[in-house]
Amino acid sequence: MSQYDHPTDPFRRRVVGASLGAAGLAALPLHSAIAQSGEIVVGAAPPITGVFAFAGVGLHQGLGDYCEWRNTKGGVAGRKLRYIGEDSGYKMDQAMSVFKKIMGANKPPVFYGDSTAWAKAAAKEVSQLGTTLTSSPSFSSDLADPKNVPYYFMAGPTYTAMGEILLEYINRTSRGASRPAVAIVYSDTEFGRDPIPGIKAKAGALQIPIVQEIVTKPGAVDVSAEVAKLRRAKPDYVIFHGYVLAPIPEFIKQMRESGMTTTPMGTIWSMDKTTVDAMGAAGQGWMGVMPYRYSYDTKDAPTMQIIKDFAAKARPNMSYVPLFYTHGWLVGMIFSEVMERCLKAGKPLTGANMKAALESIDNWDTGGVTGLLASLKGHQIASGRIYTYDANTKLLEPASGWIKTA
Amino acid sequence: MRIGDFRASYAHDESLWPTRVQRAWLGVLALALIAFPFGANGYQVSLACMLGIHVIAAAGLNIMTGYTGLISLGHAAFMGVGCYTAAWFAQRGVPFFATLPLAGATAALLGMVVGLPSLRIKGLYLAVATLATQFLVVYVFREWDSVTGGVRGVNVPNASLGGFELLNDQRMYFLIAPVAVALLVAARNLFRTRVGRAFIAIRDKDISAEVLGIHLLRYKLAAFAIGSFYAGVAGALLGYFYRAMTPEYFTLQLSIFYLAAIIVGGLGSMLGTILGAVFMTLVPELLRGVVAGIAQWAPRATEILSPVQQVVFGLLIVGFLVFEPHGLLEIWRRVRRTFHLWPFRA
Amino acid sequence: MSGSAFDWIALAEYSAIGLLSGGLLALIALGFVLIYKGTGVINFAMGEFMMLGAYFFYTANVMWRLPTLVALAITLAAVALVAALIERTVLRPLAGQPVISVLMATIGLASALHGGVDAVWGGANLEMPALLPRKPFTVGEILVPGQVVWSFVLAATIITAFTLYFRFSKTGVAMRAAASDPITAYVLGIDVRRTQALTWIFAGMVGAVAGIVVASMTSLSPALGGAALGVLAVIILGGLDSIAGAIVAGLIVGLIESLTAGYLGGKVRDIVPYVTVLVILLVRPYGLFGTRQIERL
Repeated sequence: MSQYDHPTDPFRRRVVGASLGAAGLAALPLHSAIAQSGEIVVGAAPPITGVFAFAGVGLHQGLGDYCEWRNTKGGVAGRKLRYIGEDSGYKMDQAMSVFKKIMGANKPPVFYGDSTAWAKAAAKEVSQLGTTLTSSPSFSSDLADPKNVPYYFMAGPTYTAMGEILLEYINRTSRGASRPAVAIVYSDTEFGRDPIPGIKAKAGALQIPIVQEIVTKPGAVDVSAEVAKLRRAKPDYVIFHGYVLAPIPEFIKQMRESGMTTTPMGTIWSMDKTTVDAMGAAGQGWMGVMPYRYSYDTKDAPTMQIIKDFAAKARPNMSYVPLFYTHGWLVGMIFSEVMERCLKAGKPLTGANMKAALESIDNWDTGGVTGLLASLKGHQIASGRIYTYDANTKLLEPASGWIKTA
Repeated sequence: MRIGDFRASYAHDESLWPTRVQRAWLGVLALALIAFPFGANGYQVSLACMLGIHVIAAAGLNIMTGYTGLISLGHAAFMGVGCYTAAWFAQRGVPFFATLPLAGATAALLGMVVGLPSLRIKGLYLAVATLATQFLVVYVFREWDSVTGGVRGVNVPNASLGGFELLNDQRMYFLIAPVAVALLVAARNLFRTRVGRAFIAIRDKDISAEVLGIHLLRYKLAAFAIGSFYAGVAGALLGYFYRAMTPEYFTLQLSIFYLAAIIVGGLGSMLGTILGAVFMTLVPELLRGVVAGIAQWAPRATEILSPVQQVVFGLLIVGFLVFEPHGLLEIWRRVRRTFHLWPFRA
Repeated sequence: MSGSAFDWIALAEYSAIGLLSGGLLALIALGFVLIYKGTGVINFAMGEFMMLGAYFFYTANVMWRLPTLVALAITLAAVALVAALIERTVLRPLAGQPVISVLMATIGLASALHGGVDAVWGGANLEMPALLPRKPFTVGEILVPGQVVWSFVLAATIITAFTLYFRFSKTGVAMRAAASDPITAYVLGIDVRRTQALTWIFAGMVGAVAGIVVASMTSLSPALGGAALGVLAVIILGGLDSIAGAIVAGLIVGLIESLTAGYLGGKVRDIVPYVTVLVILLVRPYGLFGTRQIERL
């Protein structure tokens, strides 16, 4: 390009010079503090911005706050925890970049990622490194595989197991001669598609007909045509999976307006109270499977009380503790339990040792977070219970006992 | 102070690095590139690998858009094609020095198909057509389960040469860096040839080019093919680097990322490509580093500051376009001129 | 699905929903067309105008609890201000630049606006109050949701208003003149810079209204902007600079989308707009009503 194209007008030059100066200042290297000996770094790349942002903030806060709380209780085997969490933007290369940065600078023995995509991409590297135990918000069935994905665990059941719990519940509560008709609405993402084959298989085994299967883009879309399609199939239950909020409320509202009396059901990530509150009156009767207690359910649940108290003190503006926070807290608990078992047995914190420690967790009392005693032998906590939403009290209440899956 | 250029032969005039000083600097650069992974930590090496991949992809886009004037919003799709092709062949035991060209070739084929309508549709319309292609190709990635693994994605075995596996980022660097250098030099060389000059003529005024005897369709297809070839190779290297890939990676956002890289860097120049790729790779890291630094004193700051990065980034791009349309390249050239002509003003 | 007889009712229902949803698509397309006609730019930040309008309305109506009409007025004023600002600071300096620079500028702007909204309001899905009556319309066995019908009515009203404005009002005619031949318009004393700014302001306001409607029909989140990409199919089909084209194309694309969703499933529905774009570009690049561009040496 010719340098005679435009006169270098002085105003432009000054602006360019100023911005270069600013960029130069920003380029001054910012060292992360030198790790003190004895501190255990808990690394994380939560999706603080991006489409999963409100979940990511909760995860980030829950895990970080757990580390703070644990330190007040003496840390893990006498060593303090240091939480380092950087935003992943729910983008794979950003998450991987944060992962490599924190791994390179701090060598954390435990790391929490942001998505299924990250977990799968990092799995190979983590296997090869052999130094770190990982987890993430993904409950993908592919990842609960101790043999092929040895250094990953999920703080709950797989999505397939969640679907099976829902079908189990439908099966148990259906009366009458005809089998209940179920429709599935899911998003066209890995998150959405993951449990569908398992759900269909379970429905077949329980002889529950799947009368309609609808796939949509994740997020807000116009669903009028899909609701029309659903109406024709006349299902008794609709299972939504792969969404966090939108377009579920619109689906339900339109379903109700067109006279359908179908019961809508969801899986963990659409079960947060604020999510369901946003459905307004349409949320009445919303049901779903969730592996934890809600933060307001503190009866006979000491950990839930601890969470509630800590959040009230540390984050007074947070009137309700979202399930993402609870999830982050539980992940922190599992990380600490694994490391404590290793250190108390005198073993160094390596991938193999931590995996063994993880799999030794059986009949573990989580203080009420997971209801039943938890077992992580299969790298998942395979239990959950059905909740139903009351639009008057705006609370999700249990509608079944704790159900364990295989 | 450089007072003038003295070229005694056509060959010398056309050479890529005519002066001895330039060649000396090139040697220093080569040594620095080779020595880099031994001194840097794992994070920096992985950044360098990503940078290499970005540079290759951006070079391809610059050939298509910067030199030939064909706006493409579908570059990420071509990378995806390259990635899945490489994965497919690698899973069947083909070594990487064969999968890389195969990935490039497949992407080039798709590029030519996409480029076929480019005679009839130009400018903004072509941009929209490539945008549509982007979405369609990603749709194919998600649905064609048998080849691409659908939404679950693919696992890419480690790149291996004989028995030597490229296990970690350090070794990947020694694959990515030479490929990037080779492709960049090839691209620069392209524009010394008739093909390259035809591309530039097409960009400047394609009707005039046709009048001068340049076969428009053939050269436009060639531009699409070469640009997509680069994207395919970059995609293949990406697959080897991450060792697993899902279709959710190859979004419109990624295509826009590369477009921003070449515009901010400077259209129509390989140096501009490098500058732009460096800018787009390092600035987000720097911004995140700033936020992480602040977070050490004010831990709650991460939640508030993280979205601000995106704003700053978008504003930087707009700022560049408004204040320096020729990109970082022009800033670089001004700096060079200042040094060359010192103590006189540029 | 009922027995072996073809379900005519289903077809009628999907078609009705499709045609009526097309009204909203046409409204968003109007925003694109206004800017292209007035300034020759495809505004990739249109989706972000929609998002901005929806968020401003949410702030005024839900957060500050102002009555709906007041909130609407404030929203329109705010969006007009932002649009004018963007036109002045970003588009005008780029006036002579190649198409790709302007394209990239609107894309960069979209990114900045997106991040800005994410920073100020957070990334969570927020619930908008229902602005349009929800009661479904039933004709026999065909049921169309209320919002779909009313959004069509609203879109039709706004588009008609604009058409009349451009046809009969002095400023409207001046805008058309400046769009078709800026130099002659200057000669005739029309302030072309003002009409261009006005074009952006109108497009911003149209986008804001469309955004508010879409948000109240679905939900409010920074991802709202993505809805505008599908509208590219509408403007390509209709012709980048034709309002009539936007209307007709909006209805057609809405119909096709609805039928695909009904018969082929939601996944295919997403790529329908893009397949349409490609087919049109190959067959009739300037769309149904667009002006043919003639290049001169």
